[in-house]
Amino acid sequence: MAIDGLIIVDNTGRPIIQSGFRSTPPSYPLLHIDALNNALAKTPGDVDPVIYVSPYNTVSAAACCHVKCGDIRILCPVSGDVDPLFAFSFIQAFIDILNEYFGSVSAATLKDNFDVVYQLLEETLDSGGYPLTTSSNALRDIVLPPSLLTKLLSVAGANITSSINSGSGLGSGPFSSPIPWRKAGLRYASNEIYFDMVEELKAIVNRNGTTLLSTVRGTIETNCRLSGTPDCQLSFANPQVLADCAFHPCVRLKRWSDSKILSFIPPDGRFVLAEYRYAPNQASASARFSNTTVPATTPPLNLVRDHVALPFTLKPAVELEGNGGNFNITLTSRLSTRNIENLVAELHLGEGAGGIKCVTARGGAADRYGRGVEGVGASWAFDSNKKILRWEIPLVSPSSSWSLRGSFTTLIPAPRPSHAMQIRFEIQSHTFSALKVEQLKMTGEVYKPYKGVRGRSVGKVEWRW
Amino acid sequence: MSMSGQYLNTITENASRLGMRLQESFSEHTRDLNLSRATGSSYLEGDEKLKDIRRQLDSNSDREKLDAMKRLIALISKGRNVSEYFAQVVKNVASHNLEIRKLVYIYLLRYAEHEPDLALLSVNTFQKDLTDSNPLIRAMALRVLSGIKVPMIGSLVVLAIKKCAADISPYVRKNAALAVPKCFELDSSHLPSLIGIITTLLNDRSPLSIGSVAFAFEAVCPTRLDLVHQHYRRLCKIIVDVDEWGQVDLSNLLLRYSRTMLPRPIVKADGEEVDKDIELLLSSVEPLFQSRNPAVVLAVTRIFFYAGPPSYLFKIVNPLLRLLSSSAEVERIVLVYVNVIARSAPHLFAPFFARFLVRTDDLLQVKQEKIKLLLVILTVDNYAAILRELIDYVDDPDDSVASDSIQGIGRCARLVPESTQQCLNSLITMVKSARDVTISSAVLVLKHLVQLQLSTSSEFPGTSQSPFKIIAQLAQKIDDVHHAQARACVIWLVGQYAASEDKGPGPEGVADWAPDVLRKTAKTFAQETPLVKVQIITLAAKLFVLSPNDRILALLSQYVFNLARYDMNYDVRDRARMISSLLAGVIPTSLMEDSERERAGVVLRREQVKLVLFEGKSGIVEDNSGHTDNISPIGTLGLVTGKSMQLEGMLSDWLENGVESSLRDVDESVPPPTPVALSSAQQQRVRVKEMSPIVLTPTGGSSLDGSELKDGVSSRGLFQDLDKFYEDTESLEEEEDEEEEEEEEEEEEEGSEGYGEDDDGDGDATEDNEHDGSIQEFNGEMSNHPSSTTDHTTLS
Repeated sequence: MAIDGLIIVDNTGRPIIQSGFRSTPPSYPLLHIDALNNALAKTPGDVDPVIYVSPYNTVSAAACCHVKCGDIRILCPVSGDVDPLFAFSFIQAFIDILNEYFGSVSAATLKDNFDVVYQLLEETLDSGGYPLTTSSNALRDIVLPPSLLTKLLSVAGANITSSINSGSGLGSGPFSSPIPWRKAGLRYASNEIYFDMVEELKAIVNRNGTTLLSTVRGTIETNCRLSGTPDCQLSFANPQVLADCAFHPCVRLKRWSDSKILSFIPPDGRFVLAEYRYAPNQASASARFSNTTVPATTPPLNLVRDHVALPFTLKPAVELEGNGGNFNITLTSRLSTRNIENLVAELHLGEGAGGIKCVTARGGAADRYGRGVEGVGASWAFDSNKKILRWEIPLVSPSSSWSLRGSFTTLIPAPRPSHAMQIRFEIQSHTFSALKVEQLKMTGEVYKPYKGVRGRSVGKVEWRW
Repeated sequence: MSMSGQYLNTITENASRLGMRLQESFSEHTRDLNLSRATGSSYLEGDEKLKDIRRQLDSNSDREKLDAMKRLIALISKGRNVSEYFAQVVKNVASHNLEIRKLVYIYLLRYAEHEPDLALLSVNTFQKDLTDSNPLIRAMALRVLSGIKVPMIGSLVVLAIKKCAADISPYVRKNAALAVPKCFELDSSHLPSLIGIITTLLNDRSPLSIGSVAFAFEAVCPTRLDLVHQHYRRLCKIIVDVDEWGQVDLSNLLLRYSRTMLPRPIVKADGEEVDKDIELLLSSVEPLFQSRNPAVVLAVTRIFFYAGPPSYLFKIVNPLLRLLSSSAEVERIVLVYVNVIARSAPHLFAPFFARFLVRTDDLLQVKQEKIKLLLVILTVDNYAAILRELIDYVDDPDDSVASDSIQGIGRCARLVPESTQQCLNSLITMVKSARDVTISSAVLVLKHLVQLQLSTSSEFPGTSQSPFKIIAQLAQKIDDVHHAQARACVIWLVGQYAASEDKGPGPEGVADWAPDVLRKTAKTFAQETPLVKVQIITLAAKLFVLSPNDRILALLSQYVFNLARYDMNYDVRDRARMISSLLAGVIPTSLMEDSERERAGVVLRREQVKLVLFEGKSGIVEDNSGHTDNISPIGTLGLVTGKSMQLEGMLSDWLENGVESSLRDVDESVPPPTPVALSSAQQQRVRVKEMSPIVLTPTGGSSLDGSELKDGVSSRGLFQDLDKFYEDTESLEEEEDEEEEEEEEEEEEEGSEGYGEDDDGDGDATEDNEHDGSIQEFNGEMSNHPSSTTDHTTLS
């Protein structure tokens, strides 16, 4: 399976960097850029990630897979019977590499380092369209990341790259490591490894306030700065809350399935060690299936609904009239000790909406005195391009309640707002699953590493009214 | 003391001098540094220094050259044609600075095609590089050599690939495999030797390179699955250790192999009969469900869906659900695949319907796929929740989502009789909606439901509501229905089902609500769209035929016909003319115009007209379940774009019995030529007796040095043993089903068909010997390579 190439375009739709399209006519990449720009012009926000590119002259039918990343867009033309997922996986891998190399991905950084990006493209994508080296540990040996130091050295005439060329030091050259994902011969003054458990709650609440769906997916993001070739064993106090796991290639799958211990030789630097779904009911979905020999039996519905409690409640009251509407939205934190941070609630007001008047207030007071006490830090804004009303509360303290009242008008007769609010939030040092690391054992090296574990939660809730 | 003082002096002196020097050079260099730091994006912007490029490329300084090369790459990036610098660039191909060299490579790969003669100049350097001690250099040289499209060097490239295929570094071997399809693309006449290389590479024990070998195999010789026999089991076992991209290709190769060569799993009353090689495949790839790469998960899903027995199918559910939450793009694609799987096995996903609920911020395509999917997995257990959702989605800002969900409600009413009442109620409420698309879709869906019911029975199951009552309700709301198509639809419905036996207040033979619709629409006739006008004419005709004696109806109809006769739209005029001549036998002479009275031709009686107008209409019930006959397999572009991209991707159907499993048996007493670092795979014990007839034996004609002579002899010795072995197996095989053998032969003929001319062509040899021959030939070619030599020595 192979993709046809890769094109990076800026936010005006002009290509910045593109790989060599070896076996296609020169017009091929242009057709794809055109197709994307046309699609973007037609529907600005909502473009199909796979755009069909109809055959043209000698160019056969193809599709343009694209992903937006910061202010750039990465296009990946594919043709034939290639799985588009393959293209998206590769784009994601490439974005990860760019992030690793440049810290952030933007048109400016890519333009500044275009020669490095070209080299990266050359190493990650064979000219036949097959992914070559996508592990950042191996790549760092072949393509030097741009740093002030390398620039300084190259200007000062020292030729570091020639050391790769010499090939004499077989112990430290590229591809000398016996483990494909880990650099060989690493040395750190202080040996540290950090685990960040980031959990994301996705939920849908219907207009009666009933939770229809709430799933929590977690990722264990790891930053590893360990010398030599350490062999780590991460064990959890409550591994039964983990379900549907996915792992970095370094994790020994057999150990996990046997004893629920993550045993791995980590790559150097930042990487995602594992992903999981939080299964509140300890009988996870796969366990339920294991007893069923007849495939037709479906598990009872109530078992599948393992809901996670939402950290807040929302009372949206929206009244629509002929030429506008009133709304009164109250949000109350359900948490008793923690703060909800950076809460953003968005409401799409539909075509032709405008004339927004709003008051946002911190709870309680507004009911008693009939007027709102100006909410500390809470603010609202209206994006007149996308017709989105945005309500932001930087800090929702425990059990506090907040309200947003106001009205809007529309130019067209019947207002047609979206019947749901999108709420995003963060909770620091908190995980929904309460996953607890029991210990991290390390073998293979003599030093004692510093170990750090941290939790963080983000949420994305759709609340319908 | 004085000595030491002197030393100290010199040291401090030297130190201060060094410090000065450092400072000088540093300040000098930082000047350059500022310059070079500023250039990053300025390369992409300014082009005032274009003429300098040539000079810079010819200069002696690496920095100048590097600068020039960056400039060139920047120009390429801007879409400029910079082939004029080819001669200067090619000179730098042997630069000792790796960065310059890489940029030169990038340049070469793009422009070598245009300057094949000059490109030849670089070939020597690459050939030299192929012997470099650094695997990175070797791999890069091969990559460029195979990447430049100069057909002249084809055979050279083949030699280079062959050399690299036997490299000690798996990274180089990987690149060798990737070079094979490029070489094939350049000149397909190299196919026989390329297949030889692939055969060698299939022996590769390193998980790093085997993925790209699978890729090369699929690109160059996809039909030669017979080459995989010997490696199938080993490939299954090492797939866990292969890199993620390789896992995708290897999975697809193994899937194709098993669909072609293995017996189909059979479901019996007392369980399933699954071939042990299929079981091996399934159990080997199952851990890959835990890959973070969506493409890998899908490749494994394909294996389970297309090669696994039904009882294994549940394993694909959770991994697919996991992919849904990874990113919007992945969700978009995976939903399409889930839809296909759910059509053949809805019970798998039915319990998880909550995972497919539409969010308002989903992509449009995602919303549509989710609605489709919810309808596929609709069951008696979950219909209530799904129906509530569908009703919610009608409020979606996007029109197509709204109409999809309304159609979904209709489908729900048809599939689950219990839900019909609720569906009808909500549809009838929607007709009052302020939104055009809601009204029109609701009316259309109601029409379908009504028609469907009337064609079977007269009442909706589980409800007291008769379809006629719904039509009556629609008829009363005709003023609220503005959407042309919906309006036309209501009018048609009214006309079609206006016949009534009951004695009502209105004209006899016609339901009491029907004439009023005609009255209202006749009044607004001039403002209607042609679509609606045509339906008004039809309505008039139908009512008139039903109740020809009612004078008011007759006058109303005549009024409509007259309006239509002089309409601007010729479709409307045509329809009017057609209808009025159809009605010629029914219209009372008092209403007829003079010109029409003496018309010749066939005049139909009322019953005949009735037949023409009313019959044969009820069966038209559109099935909007969205089934397409030709579904591409999951994991292909065609399925996602909904357009046929390429038919070659179709999976072949199972063979009846598969080929004999002994073909896959390998003599595992041969230790692997290169140590396997990662594989914990268990070595399988295989009896020597079952050893396949295909054995690697060097031909006598190949040039032999001392060691090879020895193993040549030893393997010949083995060959003699084989003769004995043949006798043994033949006696065994005779007992086996003859049919199987025949099929196997057929299969092998098919397998080698496409490449018949490429085989060594000893046509009179038996089936097995033919393969033997070709492999022997490749072996002869390989015999210079170190790895194959080890192969041979270990055979003895």
